[in-house]
Amino acid sequence: MTATVTTPGARRTRVLSKKALLPWVFLAPGLLLALVFKFLPMGKGVWLSFFKVRPFLGDQWVGLDNYTRVLTDHRFLDAIGHTLLLGIGQSLGAIAVGFLLALLLEGQARTLKIVRTAVFLPVVTATAVVGELWRLLYYPTSDGLINHALGFLGLGPVQYLDNPNTALWATMVMSVWMLAPYNMVIILAGLAGVDRTLYEAAAMDGVSLWQRLRYITLPAIRPALGIVLTLAAIRGLRVFTEVYVLTGGGPAGSTEVWMTRAYTLGFTRNDIGGASAASVVLLCVTLLLTVTVNYFRKRGDVR
Amino acid sequence: MGHRRRRRRLVATLAVTGLMFGTAACGSGSGSAGSSDPNTLEVWTRSNPDDAATYERVFAAFTKKTGIRIDYQPIINFDQQLQSRASTKDLPDVMINDTALMGSYQSQGLLKPIDPDGIAGHDQIDAKTWASTVGIDGKHYGIPYSRQAMTLMVRKDWREKLGLPQPKTWQDMLTLAKAFATRDPDGDGKKDTYGMVVPGSAQNGYAAWWGASYLWQGGARIVERTSDGGYKPVMDSPAAVRTVTWLKDNLFCGDNGVIQPGALTAITGTATNFQDGNAGMYLTGPYNMTTFDQTIGKDKYEVLPAPAGPAGNEVLADGENVYFGARTGKTEQEQALGAFLVSPEGQRLAMTGGEHQPVVRIPVNTTLDAAKVRNDPRWGVVQKAYENDSVVFPNAPDFAPVKQDTADALNALFTYCGSDVRSGLKELNDTLAGDLKDQDLLK
Repeated sequence: MTATVTTPGARRTRVLSKKALLPWVFLAPGLLLALVFKFLPMGKGVWLSFFKVRPFLGDQWVGLDNYTRVLTDHRFLDAIGHTLLLGIGQSLGAIAVGFLLALLLEGQARTLKIVRTAVFLPVVTATAVVGELWRLLYYPTSDGLINHALGFLGLGPVQYLDNPNTALWATMVMSVWMLAPYNMVIILAGLAGVDRTLYEAAAMDGVSLWQRLRYITLPAIRPALGIVLTLAAIRGLRVFTEVYVLTGGGPAGSTEVWMTRAYTLGFTRNDIGGASAASVVLLCVTLLLTVTVNYFRKRGDVR
Repeated sequence: MGHRRRRRRLVATLAVTGLMFGTAACGSGSGSAGSSDPNTLEVWTRSNPDDAATYERVFAAFTKKTGIRIDYQPIINFDQQLQSRASTKDLPDVMINDTALMGSYQSQGLLKPIDPDGIAGHDQIDAKTWASTVGIDGKHYGIPYSRQAMTLMVRKDWREKLGLPQPKTWQDMLTLAKAFATRDPDGDGKKDTYGMVVPGSAQNGYAAWWGASYLWQGGARIVERTSDGGYKPVMDSPAAVRTVTWLKDNLFCGDNGVIQPGALTAITGTATNFQDGNAGMYLTGPYNMTTFDQTIGKDKYEVLPAPAGPAGNEVLADGENVYFGARTGKTEQEQALGAFLVSPEGQRLAMTGGEHQPVVRIPVNTTLDAAKVRNDPRWGVVQKAYENDSVVFPNAPDFAPVKQDTADALNALFTYCGSDVRSGLKELNDTLAGDLKDQDLLK
């Protein structure tokens, strides 16, 4: 009697364990790649941040020394302000422009598809190329495209990148140009899911454009906006390539951000330990920010 | 049953794929073939493919002569690669890289001391050049290989058209720059030319690299050796204040067009105005001549000694050294290669790249004459500047932080025209003192 009861039970566990194993087997190649190329180097980076790194002579344990050095360095403290301004500015700017582009380019017509593809190009272009392109656009004489256009309005050539008061803003504009189309695609997907009958009902009630956006469109694309915001939180503060190719942190350090500073520390000053510590600090802040954004997103979803 | 077998096969395939990815990942980085063979030297140079073609010719001649094989690796991101090799404790046997990196490499223990007497033909390199490879502890850590000094490239056709003389002093240079900017030397009726090119960005220390020659000419230095073997920063000297003030007032904050627009964020890669034909002067290294000959033409520009400042016309010199990796156990073969590289034959091969870029600019071997070997008198100007009027960055300390901080400070002073040079340089001096203290060199 007991035997007949246990046999099917045992078989079920065996089948279950096989079933539980299978997804992991499918995931294994990806996980293995991530482990070798992502998590191990990341762990090593965290580990190195506690050492004075000397690859050949052997690393020296220095405890939290690298962290205190980074967090008390006035150049890093200056960079915090620039990083926040650039990170928040470019993220919000890219969301606003992405939303606008999505509204303008929503639809099925073939011309729209072509325009959408054209608008998306900056996202797939290498940042280094984009940087060179914008250096040409910003060229500080009337030969530069933007200054040439200003010339028609009778405005003199502007030194976008060589003026410490405008360099950070000029970098921000380029970043928005690069990031906005990506947000546009996500928001477009959200827009496609908006119930058309709501628009029709609204039209019958005679609402204004603003009211339609505020009460129908925005609430309907909340999930899409949530994704866009999460992505912005993740990548907003780690801005590096844009600044590196456009201004190199100059002039007079006015566009120096957290990661360009960490790069200088690691690769021109050979202080890998300090650079690792700076990167770990950024990782923690980014993690915290992402968790916070997600918390508010979930709370909003529940409501 | 067949269903289950199929599934098992799938699982097996996935597992094998996973393992293959794993081994592929582990397999990278162990490609240093022949590192145990005593008759093969692994040689690294920081080179693009064009330079590498010249090096290959040099090494082929060496192998033919001595029978010692060369496993040659031209590497572009040299320092990152070197760090990863250092962590495996297996360095390349011989490396050819910038003179300025010697202090950094030595402080990391990457280099083997070199006895000049052990290098055949060492007496053909002069004492000044050998002195540039002495480390903090007084031992040599490199064999000089190639040297260069800055010279002033001037658009000869423009200068002659405006009827102005070759610039001999800073004032001449400034007058010429203003004329290039305002008197339409290219004759297209538009005000689209500039006096001179300045790579003034702080990125990678460019502002300090460019500004050093002017500091020397103004009688200033960045750091100075003390009598007890240490170093002290001297960027707050009256000469430094005077020089930086002159540069700021006349080049960066003076008349429009004296320097090219965008100079404050320009590095050598983006400061292409001279070769683009819209700037008239460029104080730079002779390696650019190949490019300029092709873009603006050999007959259109001249190579002149740098105009003199208040203290003379000294310029910054730099170049490449041959370094021996620490603990490689092949000293004899390495010395043989070192001797060949600095011999007249080795230097001559590297100076004449054929259709490729030459890798030796000014030969360190005193029996050779750069202008004669290349049959180009312009190289004589560079060689004379190197031999008579050049000062190198101190290579014994790890100079990278000093150079970077100097560049940051200069770039900031040049950016803000209202800035106070004296207090800015005082602040820089304190920062430099901190850099030297980090290396226990502040005396």
